This record gives sequence, C-alpha cells and structure tokens, in this order.
Amino acid sequence: MKIGIAGAGLIGRLMAWQLQRAGHKVTLFDAGDELGTNSAAYVAAAMLAPYSEAVTSGAEMFALGKPALGQWRELLQQLAQSSSHVVALNDSGSVVVAHDLDRASLQHFAQKLKAVAGNDPEVKQLDRAGISGLEPELPASFRQGLWLVGEGCLDNRALLVALQHALVTGGAEWRANVAVQSVSAGTLNTAAGAEKFDWAIDCRGFGAKTDWPDVRGVRGEILWVRAPEVRLSRPVRLMHPRYHLYITPKPGDIYVVGATEIESESQAPVTVRSQLELLSALYSVHSGFAEAQIVHSFARCRPALPDNLPQVQVSDGLLRLNGLYRHGYLLAPTVLASAIKALAGDYSGAFVQEQESVSRKT
Amino acid sequence: MTLNPDTWTLYGASFSNRLLIGSALYPSPQVMSDAIEASGAEIITVSLRRQSPEEAGGQSLWTHIQKLEKTLLPNTAGCHSVKEAVTLAQMSREMFETDWIKLEVVGDDYNLQPDPIATVEAAEQLTTLGFKVFPYCTDDLVICQRLRDVGCEVLMPWGSPIGTGRGLMNPYNLQTIRERLPDMPLIVDAGIGKPSHAVMALELGYDGILLNTAVAQANDPVLMAQAFRDAIRAGRQGYLAGAMPERQTASPSTPTLGMPFWHQQ
Repeated sequence: MKIGIAGAGLIGRLMAWQLQRAGHKVTLFDAGDELGTNSAAYVAAAMLAPYSEAVTSGAEMFALGKPALGQWRELLQQLAQSSSHVVALNDSGSVVVAHDLDRASLQHFAQKLKAVAGNDPEVKQLDRAGISGLEPELPASFRQGLWLVGEGCLDNRALLVALQHALVTGGAEWRANVAVQSVSAGTLNTAAGAEKFDWAIDCRGFGAKTDWPDVRGVRGEILWVRAPEVRLSRPVRLMHPRYHLYITPKPGDIYVVGATEIESESQAPVTVRSQLELLSALYSVHSGFAEAQIVHSFARCRPALPDNLPQVQVSDGLLRLNGLYRHGYLLAPTVLASAIKALAGDYSGAFVQEQESVSRKT
Repeated sequence: MTLNPDTWTLYGASFSNRLLIGSALYPSPQVMSDAIEASGAEIITVSLRRQSPEEAGGQSLWTHIQKLEKTLLPNTAGCHSVKEAVTLAQMSREMFETDWIKLEVVGDDYNLQPDPIATVEAAEQLTTLGFKVFPYCTDDLVICQRLRDVGCEVLMPWGSPIGTGRGLMNPYNLQTIRERLPDMPLIVDAGIGKPSHAVMALELGYDGILLNTAVAQANDPVLMAQAFRDAIRAGRQGYLAGAMPERQTASPSTPTLGMPFWHQQ
C-alpha cells in the first residue's frame, strides 16, 4: 500500500519504519528538519518511567507502561539490524529523593504509587546507604528515597537519527520542511496541494490541533547541561511541594533537566522563573552542576487529550495518533502496535477508537 | 425550622453550595471536570500567571473550564508585588469578563505565605479600579479589618499554608475573626487537607471553603470531591443546628442503675 504520514516526531518515524518493514511504500512529511529538532521527541528526556508516571496517570497507564523496557529492547534490536545503529538503553532503574524539608512530598509520591502499584517488588525503599550505593555522588543529606527498578531511559537523539537512516536507506520518501496543513481520508494537504495515498496517517502531535480540536498543548520547559564533574548513572527525580525535577543522564556528560508542566500553548522561550526553579533544584542535588554549561534550553508543547492518555482514531483511509503527552517514549510501543493492528482491520488494541465512518473489514 | 434555602451571598450573587474549588494540579482535565462536578461547587478558581496570558496560552484549558458553566474566580497566584497583582487582575478581567478577583500576593516563596501589607495595598487599588476582591490572607484579625476597611466584602483567611493540608492551625484566631466580623462572608482558603477540616471550619461558623490540592492530589480526586461536598454540608448543618457545649466531665443522662445515690457524684 501507499502510505502518507504527516509528522516525523517519535510516533511518525516509528509508524513509517514499521510500515516500511512490512513492505509498504511510505512518504513522510514534516514541518521541520530530518533531525526532528521541532518535535517534542527531540527535546524529551526519553524516560521509560511507568512507576513515576503512574502516580499522576493511574492504573491503566501503569499496566500499559510496565512492559515498555522490554518492548523497546526488541524494537532497538530490530533497528540495529536494519540500520546498523546501536541506540543506548539504560535499564538500571531510577532514583527518587527529596530534601529533608520536603520529606512529605516523597511520602505522598510513595503513597500514591502504592495505591496504583500495590507492593510491587520493583519499588525499593532506600536509606542513606542505599542511595549512595546506587548513586555515590548524591549528597549524604538525602536520607530517604526510592529505587524504581523497572524504569530506564534511552538515547532519543540517537534513536531519531537511526530511524531516519533506516527509513531513507529502506527507500522511504522524506519530505523535510514541508508542513502538512490538514489530513483527511487518504489525503495530505500541503501548500503545494493535495497528495493522495491509500492511507493517510496523522502523527503531527500538537500540530494536529486544527483537525482535532480536543488536542491541547501542555508547555514543558527543559534544559540540557554538560557537566563533566558529575557522574550520575541513572535518572534521578527530586520531589518538591511545587515542582518535580528530573535529571536524566545522556551520552557525552549531558544531563537533561526538566521539566515544567504548564497548561499553556505558548512556545515562547524558557522563562526566567522556570529556569531559576530548574537550576536551583538541580544545584541542590549535586554541587558539581555549578560549573555545568547550559547547552540548550527548549520550550515545547506536549500534545495531550482531555484524559491525558493517547488515542488512535481509525476510519476508512485515515488513522490519527495523538495525545502521547508526557508518555511518548513510554507508551510509543503500545500505541504503535495498536495502530499497526488497526490498519489491518483489528481494532482491539489499547487506545483505539473506531470512528463512525469505518466499514468493518471482516 | 427549615434548612432550605440555605444560600449565601458574595458581592450580590447568591449561591447554595459552599465550596469554591481550584482548577490546578489534577491528573488530567477530564478528571478535573469530573471532580468539580462531583464536588457540587458553583465557583471555580482559575490561574493565569504562568500561562502566558498576553498570548492567551492557556486557552485550551480555560475552554475546558468554561464548558462547566460555573462562576469563575480568577486568581493572582504567583504574584509577588502589588503591581504584578494589579496587572494580572486587569488581564484576567478582560480574559474572563468578570470583575471578581481572588487576590493573592506571595510574601514568602517557600511556604507561599501571603504578604499582608502588600495584600491590603493591592486590595485598595483593585477596589478603586472596580474589582470585587476576594483577598487570601493570614488569620490575623487586624489585617482582616484593614481589608474590610479598604472595601473587601469577603475575606479568605488561611487555615494553614497552601498545600500543607494541616487543617485549621489556629482555630482560636479564626473564631475571633468570625466573632468580630459577624456579617462578613468568611471563607477558609488554603491548608484544608481532609474533609474533617472542612467540617470544623463550617462548624466554627465560616461560610465557605476554598480548596484545590486536597481534591486534585488525592489518590481518587472524584471520590474526595464527593467527600468534601458531604463534609461541607455536615459542617454547615451542624453549625445551624447549634451544637451542645463541651463539658469538663461526663454527665450521664440517666442515673447509673445498681449504684446507691450517695455513691453517685
């Protein structure tokens, strides 16, 4: 089949790659460049954190997010075979800590986690010795914490590059810097006119808002710092009454520090207040960050739906994927599998919503 | 005696529900809508400060809130000076087409304690500009009197600092304000963590409760919203019914059988 995909963020690339592997002819459109610098996927920390996310997103998200690490391991193996790119996957869990004064925030996090996950063996209580055993450079003033064993993160920029190489070498047509203005059954509309396909797939995220009014943007601000003095080997979360900071290690002494969560669709640059909050919290976790270089600051809109869960909408010749919100990397494998099944006429996957115009293929 | 209609009046508008509820910190807009409906609240507070109001950055969420068709009370949360608060109030008056404003001027960044002096000053300016001010203040009688003097017709002293969930830290102060300002609508704003805290405030004779975190951050926000709805009703009815006074010693209502009267003291 001839398939047109609007949006080459995480989910657009994954869809294109899987469909190409299945033998389809894929054309991928994106308003930005091949690296994906415009996308939420590019700036994200790419954590696979079903436990931490369950605290705000509840049981369904937890159940569907828990297999993420294993699913990604398989996807990355396939990708290594088809592109010769090896994308790093850190599966050593994550550590959650709080300063003594903010202990109640950590307790609240643990209480809500327990309400969703029960007595999960992959949630381990840490005392001071436990914390320094995992992350020796964290200050001794952290006296309690959690080790969320079943969490991890991946090298998302390497992933976006690997997917692009796999697609282009596999014969996909890549239309960079071409904005898709609207998507309808079998049709992608750009400034140059309408292009026809057997299937049109809309993966534009926040950019799809004009076609899907329920999509809203949730502003996130994120910093990339280079800190050669700091050695953290896994994502660290700091609990605080008003903001939750995470620090995610990336190759090259880079740490991704984030993220604000503001119900705003502004994509204006990072504000002073947000940067102050992020950086003062960062410095409080490790004084070695004082001399770190701030190499990037980004503000992007995470695409979300009213229940903050993803949706795959399917009708004849049209598939829309959206609402991955804060859970893009975590839920991408599940959403991908659901969407691929839906294209084959099987609507039983998670998050799939049939639209009225669907004529069932039996 | 009939309890209905038990309405109350805020700046000339009449309400029957005594909960004012915030619109932040919910797991999702859907849960927010469900929780607000479950709470029975007729007034919702909305925050603009961090949402790039100059470019209407929060429009998607505001649309969601407006669909609930409740009375909106925009707030100045996050403002640290009189000027910031007044500017934001003017912006939200345009945005939400209401002259109601919940005035909040942060005095201390860590516990978000209101700055009482700046709050009085901002309240005075806002009243002059035609706003109907709902000031969030500490439980200090004199500050409350000053706020009344500059034109506030509603007062919102805290139970305890925002987000702490510690309930009524100083019932004595709250009671003093109630007794000294008997005709002023009084709302306990901030610090409410459990339904029992709301019951206490209503039993003290407070007219209403404003809360957000206690519902939004509960394991089950919708269920907690129902619990607060019922607690506020219970507290109010307890107040109207007139509670019996506390006594120092137990006084059995019937003689203790089988004990001679000269042993009964």
